[in-house]
Amino acid sequence: MSSEAVITLRAINKSYPGVVALDGVDFSIHEKEIVGLVGENGAGKSTLMKILIGLVQPDRGNITLRGRPVTLKDPADAMHYGIGMVFQDGTLVPNLTIRENLFLCHEIAFQKLGFLLSRAMRDTARELLARVKVEVDAETPIAEVTPAVRQMVEIARLLWLSKLYKQENPILILDEPTTVLTEGERETLFSILQSIKREASIILISHRLQEIVENSDRIVILKDGRNVTEMSKANARIEDIEQQMVGHTFSADRYREDEQRDPGPTEVLLVEQLVRKRAFEPISFSVREGEIVSFVGLVGSGKEEVCRCLNGLEKADAGTVVLGGKRLSPGSPGDAVASGEGHIPIDRRSEGLALGMTVAENVNLLVLNRLKTGGLISPAQEKSNALRWIEECRIKTPSAGTLCANLSGGNQQKTVIAKWLSSRVKLLILDHPTRGVDVGAKDDIYKLIRRLAQDGIGMVIMCDTLEEDIGLCNRMLVMKDGRLVGEVPCPPRKKPSPQDIIGLIV
Amino acid sequence: MSQTRENVETEQSTGGHGGLSASLKAAGRWFRRAGVSGQLLTLLIVAAIFAVGTKGRFLSLVNLQVILSLAAIPAIIAVGLHQVVVLGGIDLSVEGVVALCVVFVGLLLRNKVNTNDVGFWIVPIVIGIGGIAGFVSGLFNTRLKIPSFIATLGMSWILWGLAVYISRGQTVALLDTRFEVIVTGNVFGIPILAIIALAIVVVLQFVQNGTRFGRYLYAIGGDETLARQAGVKVERIKMIVFTLAGLFYGLSAFFLSTRLGGSQAITGNNLLFPAVTAVAVGGVALTGGIGGAKNAALGALIVTALNDGLILMHVNPYAQDAVNGAVLVAAVALTIDRRKLGFIK
Repeated sequence: MSSEAVITLRAINKSYPGVVALDGVDFSIHEKEIVGLVGENGAGKSTLMKILIGLVQPDRGNITLRGRPVTLKDPADAMHYGIGMVFQDGTLVPNLTIRENLFLCHEIAFQKLGFLLSRAMRDTARELLARVKVEVDAETPIAEVTPAVRQMVEIARLLWLSKLYKQENPILILDEPTTVLTEGERETLFSILQSIKREASIILISHRLQEIVENSDRIVILKDGRNVTEMSKANARIEDIEQQMVGHTFSADRYREDEQRDPGPTEVLLVEQLVRKRAFEPISFSVREGEIVSFVGLVGSGKEEVCRCLNGLEKADAGTVVLGGKRLSPGSPGDAVASGEGHIPIDRRSEGLALGMTVAENVNLLVLNRLKTGGLISPAQEKSNALRWIEECRIKTPSAGTLCANLSGGNQQKTVIAKWLSSRVKLLILDHPTRGVDVGAKDDIYKLIRRLAQDGIGMVIMCDTLEEDIGLCNRMLVMKDGRLVGEVPCPPRKKPSPQDIIGLIV
Repeated sequence: MSQTRENVETEQSTGGHGGLSASLKAAGRWFRRAGVSGQLLTLLIVAAIFAVGTKGRFLSLVNLQVILSLAAIPAIIAVGLHQVVVLGGIDLSVEGVVALCVVFVGLLLRNKVNTNDVGFWIVPIVIGIGGIAGFVSGLFNTRLKIPSFIATLGMSWILWGLAVYISRGQTVALLDTRFEVIVTGNVFGIPILAIIALAIVVVLQFVQNGTRFGRYLYAIGGDETLARQAGVKVERIKMIVFTLAGLFYGLSAFFLSTRLGGSQAITGNNLLFPAVTAVAVGGVALTGGIGGAKNAALGALIVTALNDGLILMHVNPYAQDAVNGAVLVAAVALTIDRRKLGFIK
């Protein structure tokens, strides 16, 4: 927009070990505008925002606030300049009330003789909540309100803080604000944002391009840590944005489609009338030998819960899961593993790997029984088994005795896969297997997934992007609002386009 | 406000699975949510059962005075301890702190072993010693970064050892009787000790509700990471809480030795269990963030009343211990927030 730039970031560089997150990015925010920031996972959006709120320091580049250079040394510092962020997972303390959270750590404004003036706080809280159209009582604990209300409370808090620091044009950053909202709440959010826009600037990050196009005045696209382009609302089209986000590096065989095989005849997994109240309605499906079945759907579609019921982390209310002819007892991860089901969790650091153990120990964890000599675990067999899988899965580690904590994300993920491979699983559930993994390691993981399929292992997979889902799977199951709404075959070279699928998802 | 709370509550309770775990959850939620009404109800039930069981003796004026006077010291200790629990930690140092403080009371007031006589100064001195002990526990926890249960358990044994070393294991009889009135006297029929305890609870409860310290205490207990992100000076609050706990233990030590008319290190023994039980029964969740001074004090009153009633009913003392253990387990089962625990260790 034509008005003055409030804050300008110029030629920002930031590298992490092994990854260049930002490579000479420019970004500026003007008064009273909504900027849509889009890009694939790993494009550098979150790093850029972290720099803007002082959580991360850039390696190079400069930041100017209304023409004056500034350093934002931490989030509190950034807040003094009126810059604040509403995080995806929230920053409100659950056991405190809305009012207590609104003023947390800034109660000094309401303090008299060491005691807090609760009436003044209550009045201010009411005013602030009215502004963001929250009708819940300010004395309700945060743990008891909906995600939508929490988000509004965070916005109200940021607005109040900016006012406290006498910032006339605060900058609010919203990271994927709509993922946790219902349709109606989404509309409310955007109408509130439009009204806040009269006195603030907003940076909107979202994967839902529709809402970006509808609500932003300007759209900035990042890819692989670089500015791709910028477009104004008038000439923004979703197809163009998608094209720009993905770029031209979309190779013909990014997901090793050529190695995709037709599944075998036997059904490894048979799910019948599986149901979990308030998560998903009765669902039946099967997975054949060597078949990759992808579950797609939005957050809250129920796909995560279905997978959690398959591996016993959640207990289904009714229905059966039959794995290799054996009925699994519901809600028992131990039974699932014993029956030959593997699970590659989204958060490998806390669920998939023992980070404090060595690569060898992790790889051998499930097969210790097979590595015994005379009743005791044999170090020689342990070593040979570990070395074999390190070799086969191409885990780049200095030695089998290296702690997993010291490996890169991609190699940690390969270690998790090696663990299941060596245990001869029949079915593997892969929950976002390439999340937080760099491009080279991604390809290694795709290769491993193809090999698993060739070995006859059935897979249920949920990916980071729709393209990845389409590229990897043999068959796609689409879920929406807890129901299975579609089944799309994805044979090699005859894959559907993301546009075909998106209609089913939303 | 009750509107929204009830809505959420009914929504949640219909969502659970049936059976024991759901009813346990529902009961626990009510127990936590209701402030002290659950505790008052428990107290009423305990009183009703014993009133019947003892044919009214439990409710006699004398017995009620006994209960109040016996509950006062555990209440002061529990009030000191509960804030550490609200933070999400635990303080196991009370026995050692009291042992050391008691020994100092014996050696500094007029006694049969030496010629010291600090008179009234004993109160600030002994509170100060307790406070220093708490401060050091706090340093162990926040500077050495070791879990509070180890920091305070170690502290307890360090101080116990010091206490025995300084007193050479002897009992020191007190000759100073000026303070006896505090532990034996009544005002309008209410034991002075109980009035002191009540005053402490009222003041601390106000501080917890109405000051930034209180707010930050609960913020840390709710989620330490988020509190830190919001700008709470977590370490400073922890230091204050451990130090306050020590101050309260020191004060209790003064009352204990005055009541005994002498001092010996083992006076500190068997104070920890009732205090932890009181905190749990009072509704302070061991997972932190929930429960205030009034909860800790009410918990101490319930535990004291329970034991008094059992004695009046001539229940075998060993069976009493077993009852107390069961009460602790039951109270924690009701108040703990299992979502906060990744693993039960």
